[in-house]
Amino acid sequence: MGIMTLGNMFGKMLKMHGLNVVTVNDFPSLIRGGHNTNYIRGDSEPIYSAIKQIDVLVGLNKEAALRHYNELSKGGALIYDESKVKLAEGEIKRGDIRVFPIQLSAIALKVGGEIFFNTVALGAACALVSIEFAVIEDAMKQTWGRKGPEIVQKNINAAKEGYQAIKSVLKEQFKIKIAKVGPDNQILLTGNDAACIGAVKAGVKLVAEYPMSPSSSVLHFMAAHEFSHSIVVKHTEDEIAAMNMIAGAGAAGVRALTATSGGGFSLMAEALGLAGLSEIPCVIINVQRAGPSTGLPTYGEQADLKFALCASQGEFPRLVCAPGDVEEAFYETFKMFNLTDLVQTPGIVLLDKELSDGYQSTRKFDTSKLKVERGKLLSDAQLDGKADYKRFEITEDGISPRPLMGQKNGLFVATSYEHDETSFTTEEPKLRVGMIDKRWRKIKNIKSSDIVPKYYGDANPDLLIVGWGSTKSPILESLKFAKKAGMKVGYLHIVWMYPFASNEILAALKTAKKVVGIEMNSTGQLRDLVRERTGFYIPDSQMYLKYDARPFYPEDIFEFVKNQIERK
Amino acid sequence: MIMATLASFNNTNKIQWCPGCGDFAILLAMKNAIASSGLEPHQVCVSSGVGCGSKLPHYIKTYGFEGLHGRSLPPATAIKLSNHELTVLAVGGDGDGYGIGLGHFLHTCRRNIDITYIVQNNQIYGLTTGQTSPTSEKGTKTRSTPHGVIELPVNPISLAISAGASFVARGFSGDLKHLSELIKLGMAHKGFALIDVFQPCVTYNKVNTFQFFQQRCYKLQDQQGGWDTTDKIGAIAKAEEWGEKIPIGIFYQQKRPTYEDELPQLSKVPLVRQPIDNIDITKLMDEFY
Repeated sequence: MGIMTLGNMFGKMLKMHGLNVVTVNDFPSLIRGGHNTNYIRGDSEPIYSAIKQIDVLVGLNKEAALRHYNELSKGGALIYDESKVKLAEGEIKRGDIRVFPIQLSAIALKVGGEIFFNTVALGAACALVSIEFAVIEDAMKQTWGRKGPEIVQKNINAAKEGYQAIKSVLKEQFKIKIAKVGPDNQILLTGNDAACIGAVKAGVKLVAEYPMSPSSSVLHFMAAHEFSHSIVVKHTEDEIAAMNMIAGAGAAGVRALTATSGGGFSLMAEALGLAGLSEIPCVIINVQRAGPSTGLPTYGEQADLKFALCASQGEFPRLVCAPGDVEEAFYETFKMFNLTDLVQTPGIVLLDKELSDGYQSTRKFDTSKLKVERGKLLSDAQLDGKADYKRFEITEDGISPRPLMGQKNGLFVATSYEHDETSFTTEEPKLRVGMIDKRWRKIKNIKSSDIVPKYYGDANPDLLIVGWGSTKSPILESLKFAKKAGMKVGYLHIVWMYPFASNEILAALKTAKKVVGIEMNSTGQLRDLVRERTGFYIPDSQMYLKYDARPFYPEDIFEFVKNQIERK
Repeated sequence: MIMATLASFNNTNKIQWCPGCGDFAILLAMKNAIASSGLEPHQVCVSSGVGCGSKLPHYIKTYGFEGLHGRSLPPATAIKLSNHELTVLAVGGDGDGYGIGLGHFLHTCRRNIDITYIVQNNQIYGLTTGQTSPTSEKGTKTRSTPHGVIELPVNPISLAISAGASFVARGFSGDLKHLSELIKLGMAHKGFALIDVFQPCVTYNKVNTFQFFQQRCYKLQDQQGGWDTTDKIGAIAKAEEWGEKIPIGIFYQQKRPTYEDELPQLSKVPLVRQPIDNIDITKLMDEFY
């Protein structure tokens, strides 16, 4: 098992104790090797992101042990593989941590082979924090049961050996003892998982995708569930095919989805415009990663916002939202399908790497208020006897009722050319203006309640943070520090980028004495959008921009906040 | 119930092709094939890319998808998957299908989705006013190759066969009856059918003219002893024949399951009519419990 599988297993065990959990993966674009870390944090209080200090470090190789032991808290513990890692006297330059050299590799070989190395380490870590062995057994049976009893049992045996190895040397109780603090009533999943479940709930029927990190898990999830939920999932020859397919499916009348990252989204740009011009609802998930070009494939950035808003030639309405956590990934993806159907235009769900593959625990999604709304779809009865149906009829609200392909009397051509009401090509200037106006008019049908920003923290803040996407998590975490320090800080979290709730956003910005922006890019793309749409400008001196392709830490955000408040 | 006739597929849109263009015959052949297959307009969708010939969906009264240059096949595939009860045809030129869209062409061949792809092959780019195409012969002088094409032309017939297309034929717009029959057979075929059609461009191709093909084309199925359409290697070899005599007709046909046949999701109701109002996601969430 790889370290991510085991990290997730550890996270699941924390969740089983009723704790809240978040995880962070950091790995290079390599299939094997390189320096990988899997970070797991649990707490009985609400938590949102990783923090800098760790309590237990399992260093599976020397590099990991030496690179990270300084992050350990006072009294924290380093477990490492004594059979492979030879640490010289004085190489660990800290006297305030506990060090547990364990024969991880040797034990793994004894119980069945090198493959059990990580499981042995997991057992050791569990023993250190007093997780009962029965919990480990339960977790493994639940998660790996499908792989068969033999595999589960071998892993349980391996974990047991690691577990006992720690128990036998742990004379003094470790400072952290994991105990049950509440019911195990949460789910633990990634942003991509949550978006997928949202899409399934929305009734997605066709998924066309070409693999690209960090979006590929959408393809994997959908393919694994294509039979159980009657979804046709196509791994296409390229992203051009994927986007053109979902345009075709959308025109035919099914809900269709593709997912990609920036490079693939670039290839989709032309067909995005096709969907816009021919008024086809379809949904694109673009999981942002660090660009430009191939960039840093497995690392994060929030630098596709302007691209998502402007991709493709010409002007046409497209919906763009950027969920910030797993809950938003679920609910906003579901909503995106409804809104794209309502206004018959493509929609882009912008996720980013940190959200897409980091796990967060959350209560099960509440589906009681979710209603699939397909907009103005014509019934057979409405089409009956209609000899002069016009697919692109210019209406007051801009929306032209549409058929499902195959219905009688609903004939039309979805076309990449400007067209008249019947869908035939036109270059007539008045009609051209009429069609452009009609397409923009559709957007007014979206209720402002669907696109308003979210607000967290102090209602009358001395300092208001503006941010978007996955940075929501470290920002919310930093608000805890600010509150403890007696600072009045608020967070304006903007989810909907188009349409943009300009009035509500400007009103919120005006409540604060000072406004700052936090983004994972080098130019402040949301800051620019806010200025464009509201006239409100956040100067460079009030921006915290991070573009080292690594996530924000709440401690650093808090430092920034403190400095900004002191500076006035 | 009144059967649809040829006229049922006529509309009043003004056709924007040059007088004498081979596309007129292809349009008529498609209407012939569709009407004589007993289909009604709402049971058919014609997809295309961009080019002179790709304007065709506007000139036939069916559902249509006039997409992007080179991209007629991905939407056609998706439309078929969305409603597999529809008869789906795709049309486009040689530049559209064998140039910019070549990748989709090969992958759709191996996918064996049940659609019929008609390529209006005039060996030239017409809509962009006369540049070389992937099927222009070596040495052809055009506005983009004033000193003659250096590359060899692609051979769509042998490409399609080796890529896994299960029905591969060639027609000539100068033989309407034969072409109508080919299209009808292609539509009746279960799987991906390519019908490459010689369609002389009266404006930009002064070499591969109507007379050029009229003098050279002969029908595979009419020759003495007929033609064995199950012989894959023989068909690929036959596709090399070019010169004084050029074969038209069905080169190759193979019986094998279509892409849709292998999808249990489509075994009953088409995707487009499957209810989505109340999808239960409890089990999906439980996977993360």
